[in-house]
This record gives sequence, structure tokens and C-alpha cells, in this order.
Amino acid sequence: MLKEKYTTEIADILSRYPVKRSALLPLLYLAQREQGYVSEAAMQEIAGILKLTPPQVYETVTFYTMLNLKPLGKFHLQVCKSLMCALVGSDILIGWLEKKLGIKAGETTHDGLFTISKVECLGACGTGPMMQVNDDYYERLTEEKVDRILADLKRDGTSALKTGPFMWPEPAPAKRGA
Amino acid sequence: MPNVAVETVKLTIDGQSLTVPKGTLVIEAARQVGVMVPHFCYHPKLKPDANCRMCLVEIEKIPKLQTACSTPVAEGMVVRTATTVVNEAHKSVLEFILANHPLDCPVCDQGGRCDLQDFSHEYTPTTSRFIEVKRVFQKEYFSPLIEKQMNRCVQCLRCVRYCDEVMDVKALAPVNRGTMTEIKHFGTHELDCEFCGGCIQICPVGAITSRLSMYEFRPWMLKRADTVCTYCGDGCQITLQTKDNQLIEVNSSLGAGRNNGDLCARGYFGYHATTHPDRLTTPLVRRDGRLVPATWDEALEYVAETFAQLKLKHGAQVFAGVITARCTNEDLYLFQKFMRLAVGTNKLDSSARYGQVNAVRALCRIQGTHRWPVTFEDIAAAEALLLVGTNITEANPITGLRVKEAVKKHGATLLTVESLQPTVGTISNIANLAAHHFTAHPDQYKPVVLGLIKAVIEEGLADQPLSQKAPAYLQAIRDAVHALSWPTIEAATGSSAASFKEAARAFARTARAVIIVGAGVLREPGASGLAATLQDLLLLTGHHGRPGCGLAPLAEQNNDQGAVEMGTVTECLPGPCDLDDQEARARVSALWQEDLPQGPGLTIPEILEEARGKTLKALYLVGEDPVGSLPESARAKEALEGVEFLVCQELFLTETAQMAHVVLPACSYAEKDGTFTNTEGHVQQVRHAIEPVGESRPDWEIFSDLAGLMGYPLEYGDAKDLLKEIRALVPGYNLPGPTPKPSRPDHTAVDRYLQQGYAEDLGERYRYTPPVKAAGRLTLLVDQSLFHSGKFSTKAKGLLHLQAEGAVSLNPADAARLGIVEGDRVLLSNELGHCRTTAKVWDRIPAGLCRFPEHFDQEARRLLSVSIDVATGVPYYRSAQVKVEKAQ
Repeated sequence: MLKEKYTTEIADILSRYPVKRSALLPLLYLAQREQGYVSEAAMQEIAGILKLTPPQVYETVTFYTMLNLKPLGKFHLQVCKSLMCALVGSDILIGWLEKKLGIKAGETTHDGLFTISKVECLGACGTGPMMQVNDDYYERLTEEKVDRILADLKRDGTSALKTGPFMWPEPAPAKRGA
Repeated sequence: MPNVAVETVKLTIDGQSLTVPKGTLVIEAARQVGVMVPHFCYHPKLKPDANCRMCLVEIEKIPKLQTACSTPVAEGMVVRTATTVVNEAHKSVLEFILANHPLDCPVCDQGGRCDLQDFSHEYTPTTSRFIEVKRVFQKEYFSPLIEKQMNRCVQCLRCVRYCDEVMDVKALAPVNRGTMTEIKHFGTHELDCEFCGGCIQICPVGAITSRLSMYEFRPWMLKRADTVCTYCGDGCQITLQTKDNQLIEVNSSLGAGRNNGDLCARGYFGYHATTHPDRLTTPLVRRDGRLVPATWDEALEYVAETFAQLKLKHGAQVFAGVITARCTNEDLYLFQKFMRLAVGTNKLDSSARYGQVNAVRALCRIQGTHRWPVTFEDIAAAEALLLVGTNITEANPITGLRVKEAVKKHGATLLTVESLQPTVGTISNIANLAAHHFTAHPDQYKPVVLGLIKAVIEEGLADQPLSQKAPAYLQAIRDAVHALSWPTIEAATGSSAASFKEAARAFARTARAVIIVGAGVLREPGASGLAATLQDLLLLTGHHGRPGCGLAPLAEQNNDQGAVEMGTVTECLPGPCDLDDQEARARVSALWQEDLPQGPGLTIPEILEEARGKTLKALYLVGEDPVGSLPESARAKEALEGVEFLVCQELFLTETAQMAHVVLPACSYAEKDGTFTNTEGHVQQVRHAIEPVGESRPDWEIFSDLAGLMGYPLEYGDAKDLLKEIRALVPGYNLPGPTPKPSRPDHTAVDRYLQQGYAEDLGERYRYTPPVKAAGRLTLLVDQSLFHSGKFSTKAKGLLHLQAEGAVSLNPADAARLGIVEGDRVLLSNELGHCRTTAKVWDRIPAGLCRFPEHFDQEARRLLSVSIDVATGVPYYRSAQVKVEKAQ
């Protein structure tokens, strides 16, 4: 249960919003940080905290590509599929990733390392095609760059090619999968 | 409504100029001049969402097309809805929608009444430029009653918005994004909600349909009959749709009836009860100890003859009759006339005895009239609402919607005193909308109300004019609440003095306030006293008698109010007038051209008492099943065994009917014509939708024939003839318009109460003695659930899908303490008996309380004792102290 483990953090989140429901996204992030994805039990618990019904929490989770409903690989490759990236070849990038990793978008490799997701615009329209791996941005991607990134991630858990995020106000509190 | 000058705006739509109130939406203004702007997502009940883009119109001086559903009118606006540009836009929107819509119209239940079909026909988007494969959602099981075909969905989200904005259930969610948006409940779980059917009715296409009638019809094959639902006192207008004399489905229409298109699970899915195969189809007569089929002639002659013989031998005072308040006004009226004239006794009663009598008595006593001083519209427009013991969502769901509307749409302040915890669940919880909620057991309603009155007095919120008009009354209340200390009230209610004061301020400082009371008050001891005390609260805050304010007691049965007004409760003559009111007696006997019988009336408990004492020889029961509905401690079976001649007029062979000497098959509401009077006193037309099942006949026809055979012809051509006679005796039966006229309190009655009437029982009403409760016991409440109404609805297959058996609901803390988990078999016991059932752990149940649905109480009834109200003769048997333990 989140409530027991994160009592002060939840209280802090709730105190930030005059309307209780506004705390939904931060709480979902909290749940995701805990388990790597948002479980049904977590959705029910959050619904209880915010006086929402579980379907209301569920619809929010399914709307945002940043929230996952099932366990993911250690590295979550989130490739932007929105218009700007599509114009400069995001579908080629996705195809390349799928070929290299032997899985389809939405799937996880057998070794549990990589999951590919197609996501909506990540706000790096000037530097597409791009992807976000866990909390890091990798931009102006080419096939060679992707190969290097995948190799780096496998070996070191991170890659020197990362370029961001730039808009994140502060480092994320805990590094999932690191 | 107070007369506030409404600001208006002048505009032109398609060349027609019109004036509408400021804030009207263009789409609504257009409708007023007969221009229908095509739309999917717009609905008058819902807030604008403008997501479907179908209602685009051209507005002069705005460069781009605007959505008519979200644009408010402005002075001098010039709107065009049928230009080439607009038509092209409509066509394009349809092209997008049809890019994914399947071509399954021939097997779609909506085919023929589908907005998408109609607009496609109108704008003929014949060629599509989309070559992509259509989006396909995997078929998944949604629920036993509601079917989902997401491929047909146009993603207007009306269902989701209705479920939230109107029902406050929030069971539906649009999941995922864009074209892939689909309507789901929660993950892969099947739908669990109030099952009001609203999503089905509001869906503009065939994406959400009813499984009860799936593939059984094409809409144009259906014959419609507008009638009134019988499952509670709200009196919702429903349209029964039939094909070949079979009930196919139920609809309701926006703008029609008191429900304005809204229904609950009972109304929408409960219609199969009337055509259940167990319906009685022929009269039955007991021969050699067995009930065998007989012809109507045989049966009626037998009854008439036996009645005549018994009357000759013992006189008319050995007869009694009880009729159910589910019958039409015409049936009820003729029943009492039959009993009074043909039989010659006043010993008749109806099921309005079980609670409605308390309500009417409290209204009459203080406001001098027997009907609500408010209407549903007043509830929706109220600024403050106080609900006491209503369990409104489950007992009177549609009145509940008016309360939700008041709070959610108009920002009313809601105070609730309910046996509910404010938790979120699969069915809506009115306590969640309350600004001030008091969780109370039924025996705590009184101290909570007294606490509110004490707070009103102490906070100086009492109405100024009242202190001049009735100083003695005010002083008496002042003294009475002074004698009650805050610690006593706090201990009795578990709520703090501060919370009472806050709630009292919120309630008193509003211009329009309505108090709604339900069965929690009306069917518990002290009912009429507490209802009177609640009127004291209205008097004290100056709300009593003000338009749009007043006390609204909820009726449980569809025609409870009618039963009282028809004079079918024992203390009343039609009117309702007192049985001893000489003037009224003269009026009635002048119209009937016959003398009224002398002698006292008898209430249901007294009738059973006389039967037990064998002074009653003949009993005529119409739709009442005392053996199957009263607790065993009422010893109804033993009483009826002592009756020499028992006649039951029924739909089904109930436990009581099995004991009868003659059983007469009656028509259900779906097979007869007449009127019902709903809880707010609105008289509405009941129309038959199907032919009588078997040889069953409308109740009034049976009374009429029997009377004829007994030599007292009571002949009427049809139900309308009867209504004409009713009109001569009972005011308010000229079929009214769409809204009732609320009764205005009679000032002389109010003054009489303020000057001396109050003193009669004020001391008693304001005294609080804590109830004695045995340690370790829970209070069992046997009451109404959302999915059933009485025992009748347990014959409806749709509702049985939702709730097929009884289970005792427990508070989670109590369950944990007793080591009980959901689904466990449990044993409930007390001095009177025991019963085994299944446990359900439900967080909305207050600690110390457990609930059991009365519809399945065959065994749970053993635990209940009966106490009878000295003043109103109402038998109370809803609650008991029980020991709950895990069954071995």
C-alpha cells in the first residue's frame, strides 16, 4: 500500500492542490516509481485517496503515454511518433529499433532490458527524430547513434549521447531501473 | 421562481429573428425557431463539450465556423446553419466519423432511430477518401445487461458525461486517445454501476445497447404506450415498447414526465416482472382443500354468494379489506366504495399504512394540506436541502437526481442525515455531495435533528417575525432544547456541537430550503413526531410557507399518495377527509346516493388482530401479501388461518394467496388504464401497453362485477368514468399539465399549530432518551435496495441479473472485528430467531449497522419484531438488534 509507505509524501502532494483531484498525476507518478508501472491496486488506492472512482483514475492512466499499465523493461524507449518527428523519419527509427531488438512497439525484450513505446510529442520538435529513455532525451537520432545508445545502455546503464531533459525542473527523485 | 428580470438577447438564425435569455446556446436558440442543428455530443442535460464538431454553423463577423453547442448567443448575432460552407463542414465531419464506423446497420438495434444514419442521409457523404483499414476493437464482455459495440462509437462521450454529471456514478471512462478512444469501466472488469440505462438511452448511435432486448426488434416494429413506472413513489413516465403483445423495451423521453427522461435500473430493466410465466391466468377456487382453476363466473358468483351469506349471518362488521397502493387511483377508489357500499364496512386499509400515513399526517397537522408544498423543480432550484433518512439513491432514485442537480448544477448546500458513510462506490452516494453530513443510525435521526434545532436557536438564527407571532411556541422550543445539553447530543450522535452550528447556519441563511424525509424516518418509531419536528425547523428558520420551501416526505410505492387521497386508508374518506367529518360524509353520500356505513375503521395491524380473535369472518386482499411481507412475529399466517373466507386478488400465487379460498387474477399496470399520483402529488396517466395476461382483469372491473352480483351495482364504462367521479370528490384530479401545482400551506392550520397545536406533544418530541442496546450486537436494517422494489421486482429477470439474492452488508471495521470477509456465510440471530446468509463488506455502511434487502427477507424477517404506532397505527418492523457471527 502506498499510503503506509509514503505517508508524508502523499500528504505533501495533497497539500499542493486546492482541488483534490489535481493531485492525481503526481500520485500516479509516485505509484509508478514504486512498481515501475501503475497496478490496478494502486489505481484503486489512489481513487480512494482522491475520492474518485477507479474508472476516473484508469482513464487518466491510459491517456498519458508516460504512465504504464504493465511492467516494462529496464530501459523504456519512448519514441515520439507525433507529426514533427514523423516528418523526419520517426517510423524509420521505430522500425530500426524493432529490428535491432527483435520486438514490436509495445513489447519488452526477453532479457527484460528494453521496451519500445510510441508516444505523443515530447516537445523536442526541433531535434527530431528523438526518443526518451527513462528520464533522458536522445535527439537527432540516426541508426548509428541508436546502435551506440543501445550498446551503452546494455553495458553501462546510461549513455553519453543523452541530451536532456532540458525542461525537467529538477532531477527526478529516484532513478528507476538505474 | 422569484421574479428576476431576465436579460435577453436578440439574434437572427437563418433569417428568423428571435429574442432569448442571455447565456442561451446557439443550438438551443435555433431549436426554438425550429432549426435543428445536427449534433452528437450536445445534449440539453449535459454541459457543452463540443467534441464531435458536427454542429458547426456560420456566424457573421466570426471568420471561422463555430460549434453551435458551445457558443452562447450575443446581441445582434447573425447565424446561418444551412449554407454551402456549413453543409460541406457537416459532410466532412461525417466523413471522418464514417471512416471508422462499421456497416452493420442491418443488425444494429439502433438502426432506424440512429442520429448517424439520419445525418448521413441528410448530408449524403457518399464517397469517402479514406482508404485505410477501419479501426477494430476486440469484442469484450461488458455486463449482463448493457452491451458495448465500440466499433460503432462516435466518441461523443455523452455516456461518460451523463454518468458523471447527471447520475454522479462515474462508472464509465474514455480510455486511450484519439481514434482509439473507447468506453470502458475499469480495466478488464465488467461494468458495475447503478445500471440506470442512461448510457444506452443517451447514445446517439448503437455503441451501447440493452442486452435484454438485443436483436429482438427493429425500432419501427414497436408499438409505444406512455405510462408510469410502479417501482417507487417518484412516478417516472416510461414508454413501454411492445411487439406482438410482448414487452420489448422501456424508454423515457427528454422533456416528458416528472423524470424528464431519466430512469433507474428498476424502471429501465425491470419490465419483465409483469409478464413472468408465474402470472395467474385464471381464477382459482378452493375445492377439497386444493386451489383449482375456475371460470370467472364461477369464482365471482362464489365470492358474491359467500359474502352475502356471511353478511346476512354476521353483519357487515365481520368483513375487512386491504388493497396495495400499487393499484391505480381508479382501483383504489372503487375498492373503498365497494367495501363501504356493497359490503357496508369502513374496515379497509391499504399499504399506504406502512409509512405514507405518517407523512400525510405530519403534513396535514402543520401545513393543513396533505400534499407536498414543493415540486421536483423546487428541489432542483433549492439553495439548501436537508435529507433525513432518505437513502434517496436507492429508494427514490429520480428525486435523488433532482438533489444531485441542485448541488452539482446550481451549487445548492446539501445537508444529509443518513445511514451512510461518505465513501465512493459503484453506486452514487448522496453523502459525497453534502456540505455537512451526519452519519446516523435510524435511532439517531432524532437527536441530530434536535441538535440542528438547538443550533438554530443558540446561534440566533430563528426567524424574527416568528418571535412576535408565536412567542409562546418559540419559548417552548427554546426551553425544550435548553434542557438538552450539547454533551448529550454529541454523545447521542457522534457529531460535534460545532458541526451542528455550521450546518444550521448553512441551512438557515438561505432563501429557498427544502427538507426531504424518507423511509428511514417514516417507517421507524416516532415517525410522525420527527416529521413534525422537521417542520418546526422550517418554521424556526422562516422557510415554512415560503414558495419553493417545505417538507417533502418520499413515498415508497407508486401510488401511496393516491391511496390516501382516494380514502383507501381507514381513517379517511375520499378527499382525503376524516372518516368522522360530518360535512365530508354528507358530500360523499350525496354523490353516491347512499348512506355511508357507520362503525369504526381498522388499520392493517388491527385487521390481523381481529382475524386472530376470529371476529373477522371474511377478508378481501388485493395485491397484499401479509404472510409473505410482514415479519413472522406479526403472526399473519396464524391470523389468516382464522378467517372463514379469504379472497385474494393477485398477479402471482403469493404465500397469502396459497391460503385463500378464492384467488382472482388481476392485471398488472402494463395491462390497464388509469392514473397514479406520485410522491409530489402529481396525477399521471397510466395506459395499457399489452393485452391482459391470460384471463386476468383490471382490479376495478372485478370490484364492479362483484358489486353487481351482490346487488349494489357500481357500474362504469371505463377507467375514465371512474376518474370523473373521483374528480367530484377529490381536488387536484383534473389531469394537470406537465408540472404539478404545489399545495400552499393553509394559514389557519399553521396558526393553529403555532398557537396551541404544538403543545400536544412538544415535550415528547424534544425529549431524548438514549436507546438501550445490548453490547456486541449490530442494528439490522431490512430495507430497500436500488435494484428491487418490494417482492414484485424479484420476478424481473433483468433485475435478477443485478441482485438475485439477499446478503447482509457490513461495515469493514465490524466485519474485521467479527472475523468475517466478503462472501462468508454468516449467522444472524436474536431472541426471535436466526437466519443464515452471505456477508457483503460495504464501506458505506456505518459502524454498528448492517443492512439486508427487504426483497429477499424470507428468512431475515424472522429476526424482526413489530411495534405499532399509537397515533397512526403504522406497524414498524424494519430494524432489530442482532448478533452477527461467522456460520460454522
